[in-house]
Amino acid sequence: MAVSNTMINTKMLRPALILLIGLWLPGLLSAQSVSASASLDSTLMVIGGQMQLKLEVVQPADLKVAFPQFTDTITENIEIVEAHPGDTAVIDGDRIAISRAYTITSFDSGLHYLPPIHFEYMEGEMMRRETTRSLALMVVNPFEEVDPEKGIFDLKSPYDLPFIFAELLKYHKWLALFFLLQAIIALVIIYLQRTKKPLSQIFVKEKPKEPAHIVALRELDKIKKEKLWQSGQIKTFYSQLTDALRRYLEERYHFQAMEQTSGEIMSSIKRIELPNKKLYDQLHQILDTADLAKFAKYEPLTDENDLALINAYFFVNQTKEEPQETAEEAAKASLAKEAAESNSQSGH
Amino acid sequence: MNQTVDIKELNERIKQESSFVDLLTIEMNKVIVGQKHLVESLLTGLLSDGHILLEGVPGLAKTLAINTLATIVDAKFSRIQFTPDLLPADLLGTMIYSQKNEEFVVKKGPIFTNFVLADEINRAPAKVQSALLEAMQERQVTLGDHTYKLPEPFLVMATQNPIEQEGTYPLPEAQVDRFMLKVVISYPEKTEEQQIIRHNLAQSFPKASKVISPDDIIRARKVVKDVYMDEKIEKYIVDIVFATRFPENYGLEKFREMISYGASPRASISLAMASKAYAFIKRRGYVIPEDVRAVCHDVMRHRIGLSYEAEANNLTSEEIISEILNTIEVP
Repeated sequence: MAVSNTMINTKMLRPALILLIGLWLPGLLSAQSVSASASLDSTLMVIGGQMQLKLEVVQPADLKVAFPQFTDTITENIEIVEAHPGDTAVIDGDRIAISRAYTITSFDSGLHYLPPIHFEYMEGEMMRRETTRSLALMVVNPFEEVDPEKGIFDLKSPYDLPFIFAELLKYHKWLALFFLLQAIIALVIIYLQRTKKPLSQIFVKEKPKEPAHIVALRELDKIKKEKLWQSGQIKTFYSQLTDALRRYLEERYHFQAMEQTSGEIMSSIKRIELPNKKLYDQLHQILDTADLAKFAKYEPLTDENDLALINAYFFVNQTKEEPQETAEEAAKASLAKEAAESNSQSGH
Repeated sequence: MNQTVDIKELNERIKQESSFVDLLTIEMNKVIVGQKHLVESLLTGLLSDGHILLEGVPGLAKTLAINTLATIVDAKFSRIQFTPDLLPADLLGTMIYSQKNEEFVVKKGPIFTNFVLADEINRAPAKVQSALLEAMQERQVTLGDHTYKLPEPFLVMATQNPIEQEGTYPLPEAQVDRFMLKVVISYPEKTEEQQIIRHNLAQSFPKASKVISPDDIIRARKVVKDVYMDEKIEKYIVDIVFATRFPENYGLEKFREMISYGASPRASISLAMASKAYAFIKRRGYVIPEDVRAVCHDVMRHRIGLSYEAEANNLTSEEIISEILNTIEVP
């Protein structure tokens, strides 16, 4: 009797069990097909600090699950600093895990509640929703509370971190190259500024400059040949004579003689030590007579004209710069001397 | 020396006529300690018939110098303190109704004199400045229906203070141009300052004597006009003035953006006249480049307009003139 009773009960329970499994299984299957989770780096954060909130959903590869759309806050107290791009990983062939991280911060101390985050997707014609667990974030304020009664203090100055040269050592090749380039550029700029040359002329070989006295003597010879004062061109004669002398002074003693008056030239030349004191008087005579001839219709005597020209020649010859012997020339001269001495000894 | 007749004669005349220059300088130096440049500039203005604007901080003897010059030249002298409430009639004069004669009679103002000291000219409003500057240019004043000539010699010496610009009326460029020279006075040397202290503590202020008459000045001015100026000097003056207008043509491209307007033809005339007067003071019958350079700053400094760029770079007209003089070749 007991056995038959048990059989009856089993027979009666089977349809109910099938119905129950039929109702529960689709829900169980759908729950297994999509799962969502949210996690924080830590549950504790310093006020104003940053950490990452990671959202992850595991789903079939062919299912479209909508991620929640945040603007700039998660909740009133939790702000999003940066939303990182999503990442997809294949789990077992037909299932994928999509994750997305958000850098969050908070400027309010206290325990903040992150509500469950919903992920929605369509299953057939039914909209389904997968929800994460709610989270808690403790934001602490490590700073001392400002007490106005203690007085007002200035802002703390920035920390002065020491410069560690070793940090740069790993870049030593690049640094060496950088400094080398800088040095080359600096040298080129200095050279250009000193020579005042256009870039195109840097690599053109320069002709050696004629010494100032050679130019001046050539100009004086020309003036002498032209016989200007003899033909009545006294003004032109003195203009050319003083111009030649002023150009010579400018080149020889490096002051702006062409832009100076006779008085200024005399002041400038008195600051220079000339080999002969008479030269000051001779230069003064030339400039003085020239000023009278040029600006006062003065007609000097023949002797004065001759004297001016002779004084000019004398001044240039007495003050000319002696060419300096180069090392090569000195070596050649020394060898020649030694050879001459040895010849004379062998002769004896 | 086989000198041409004109210059020889001229040199002789100048040596005779300029004999008073030394006397005048001695008398000025009795009262004004140091300030050699100021004394020379006042003489240049006096002899070249040009009005002078003196600029310097307070206490540099601007007013005393002009006062002394008026005393030395036995001439009529008026001092007008320019104030914000001054009216043109206070300066030029006006028509007053005479009840006795039952007609309007002319009451001439203080401008009818040989030397006018317009003290702190930039403190009076534009209408008074304009009235004075018109009289300076025309050398005549119209009151009612009649035009009255101003006496000869007529010289206006105005002073202005470069600081304390609040409540002043700066002279417009067109009016500043009417002054032949703008003389900037600097502080005295240490030894000069010591001497000034001694004079003041001892209360023994030397007094200048009258050594020349207005007629001597008029005669000297005629001689100054005869001082020979060579074509080369004229070209030099023109080059200097043109360099302020077109600096790029003289290798001074850097000033092109710095100068808003260059010196006027009146500057060329003034530079030539002042150079002649300076040659006369140096007792020469001809102008040399030194004379031009000596007066160039005083003639040109108020005639060059500086741009905003120049002011932002703290560039002054003095520096521009110096640079121009150092760039243009001397004949």
